[in-house]
Amino acid sequence: MHNPAKKAAELLAAALTVAFFALPIVFLLSVSFKTPDDVLLGRFLPTAPTFDNWPTAFEVTNLTGFIWNSVIASIAAGILTIAIALPATYGMVRLKIGKAWLPDFTLSSYVAPPIVAVLPLFYLLKSVGLLNSLGGLILIYGFMNLPVAFWLLAPFLRQVPVAIEEAAALDGAGPLRTLIRVVAPMIAPGIAATLLISIILSYNEFLLASALSQTDAARTLTVGVSLFQGERLQNAGQMAVASLAGIVPVYVLALFGQRWLVKGLTQGGIK
Amino acid sequence: MSLTATFNTTLASLRVEPTRRLSWRFLWVAPLVAALTITTVYPGIFLIALAVSDSRLGKPFRAFSGLKNLAASLGDPLFLAALGRSAAYAVTSSTVQLALGLAIALLLSSLVKSGRILMSFILLPLMTPPVMVGIAWKLILAPAGGLLNGVLMNLGLTEAPISFLGTAGLAWLSVGVADVWQWTPFIAILCFAAIASLPGDVFEAAAIDGASPWQTFRKILLPLLAPQLAAIFLLRLVIAFKIFDLVYVLTFGGPGFHTTTASFHIWRRALEQFDVGRAAAETLIFTVVVGVVTLPVVWLAKHTAKAEAGHA
Repeated sequence: MHNPAKKAAELLAAALTVAFFALPIVFLLSVSFKTPDDVLLGRFLPTAPTFDNWPTAFEVTNLTGFIWNSVIASIAAGILTIAIALPATYGMVRLKIGKAWLPDFTLSSYVAPPIVAVLPLFYLLKSVGLLNSLGGLILIYGFMNLPVAFWLLAPFLRQVPVAIEEAAALDGAGPLRTLIRVVAPMIAPGIAATLLISIILSYNEFLLASALSQTDAARTLTVGVSLFQGERLQNAGQMAVASLAGIVPVYVLALFGQRWLVKGLTQGGIK
Repeated sequence: MSLTATFNTTLASLRVEPTRRLSWRFLWVAPLVAALTITTVYPGIFLIALAVSDSRLGKPFRAFSGLKNLAASLGDPLFLAALGRSAAYAVTSSTVQLALGLAIALLLSSLVKSGRILMSFILLPLMTPPVMVGIAWKLILAPAGGLLNGVLMNLGLTEAPISFLGTAGLAWLSVGVADVWQWTPFIAILCFAAIASLPGDVFEAAAIDGASPWQTFRKILLPLLAPQLAAIFLLRLVIAFKIFDLVYVLTFGGPGFHTTTASFHIWRRALEQFDVGRAAAETLIFTVVVGVVTLPVVWLAKHTAKAEAGHA
C-alpha cells in the first residue's frame, strides 16, 4: 500500500496530466502579452511583455458586445431549459407520464448531430421573423439542451424518497405544489448543475449560431471570434486576448459552481 | 354493491376518468414534447421534403426532383469519403479517449485528496468553448511562431518548421489531440464516478489474495465496469459524430478535403454552395450512418448491463 515508488509515479502522472491540460490556456495567456515579432520567435514566454494587445483587441472589434450577447442568450436559454425540463422530468420519472417511450425519445433525440437541425431551423426562424435575433437563439438553445437536462436531472429525482411525496400528498398538496415546495429544494444541487451545464453548452455553441444569427447586433462570441481570424485581427496577440476574454465568463462560472458541476456529472447519469 | 354495479362503475371510470386525467397529466410534458417536435420531428420531415426538391438557400422547394439528390449524394466520392472519415474518426477518437479517460480516473481515485483538486482542474477543458480550444491549439501548432515548432527547432530535432495543420495525416492528429484535450476530462469524470460506485470490499479481498495491480484491473475492475464503460463509450461516440467547431477553426476541412467530416461537408454544401436540396439528402444519409454505427454500441451497452444483472 505504502509504496514510495508507486506514489512518485502517480504524482508524476498527475503532474503531466495537469501540464497537458493547462498548456493551451497558459500559452494563450502568454501570447496575449506578445508583440507580433515576439510571436514569430515561437518561445513559450514573451521576451518583452506588452500590454497593448488587451485594450486594442477590445477597441478594434465589438468583443464586449459579442460577450454580452452570449451571456444574455445562454442565461435566458438555461432558465428556459430548466423551466421545461424540471416538470417534464418529474412527470416522466415520478408520475410515469409517457411510459418508457418518452424518456427514450428524449434521449435518442440527442443522437442526431446538430448539422441536422441547421437548415430546418434556419427556415423556421426566418418564417417567424426570429432569424438574426437573440430571441430566436434563446428559444433554440433552450430547446436543444432539453435531452441533456433530462439526462442530468433524472438521477437526482429518482433518489428523492417516495415517502416524502406521499406525506406531501396526505397534507393535501397537489403534484405541482409538491414539486415546487418539497422536491425542488431537495434536488437544488442537481438543478444548479443542470442550469450551469445548460448555460455553458449554449455559451460555447458555434454551428447553429453561425447559421441562425449572422448580423452584428445578435452575433454571439464564438461566431465573432471565428470571424476575427484573418479579418479584423491579423495579430496573434490580439486573437489570444479575444479568446481569453471569451473564456473568462465560463471559467468564473465553473469556479463558483465546481461543487455542483462535479456532483451533477458524477450523480450517475451512466448507470 | 352488486357485481354488475361494480362492473358498471369500473367501466364508467375506465371510459371517462382515464381520458380526462390523461389529458391533464400530459401538461407536465407538453412543453417538452412541443420543443422536441421543433428540434427533432420537424427537422426530420422538413429535410425529407428538401431532399426530394430542387432547393437553393434563398429559394427552397423550387421543383420536385424525386430521388435525384439522394442518388447524386450516394454517387459522390467526396461525400462518401467524408462519411467514412466521420465514422472512422468517431470510433477511433472514442476508443482512445475512453482508454485515456479510464487511466486518468484510476489516477484520480488512487490519489484521493489531490485527486479532488485534479478533478476540479480538469473540468476546465470541458467548459472551454471549442472555438477557443481550436484557436489555442492553432497557436501551438502554427508553422510560423507556433510553440511546438519553436521547441522542436530549438532542440535541433527539425530544421524547417513543420506545417502540422497543412499535412494530411498530421492535420487529423492535430484535430484529434485538441479533441482529446476537450473531451477526455468528461470521460475521466464519468469513469471516476463508475469506479466510485463499485463495492470497495472486492478490492480489499483481491489485495489480501495477493493479486497484482494489473490482475486486479484486468480480472476484477474491468469486468465489473464493463456495463458503465460501454455506456460511456456510447455517449462519447454520439458526441464524436457532432465534431464541427474544431475542424472549422483548425483546418477548415483541409488540406484539400483531408479533414472534411460529414458535418463540415454538409455545412459547405448548404451555406457556401447554397445547394440545400443536396445538403438535405446528404444529411439524411449521414443520420443513417450515425444510426448504423451507434446501434451496435447501444446493443452492446444493453447486453453488458443485462449480463451484469444476470451475474448479480
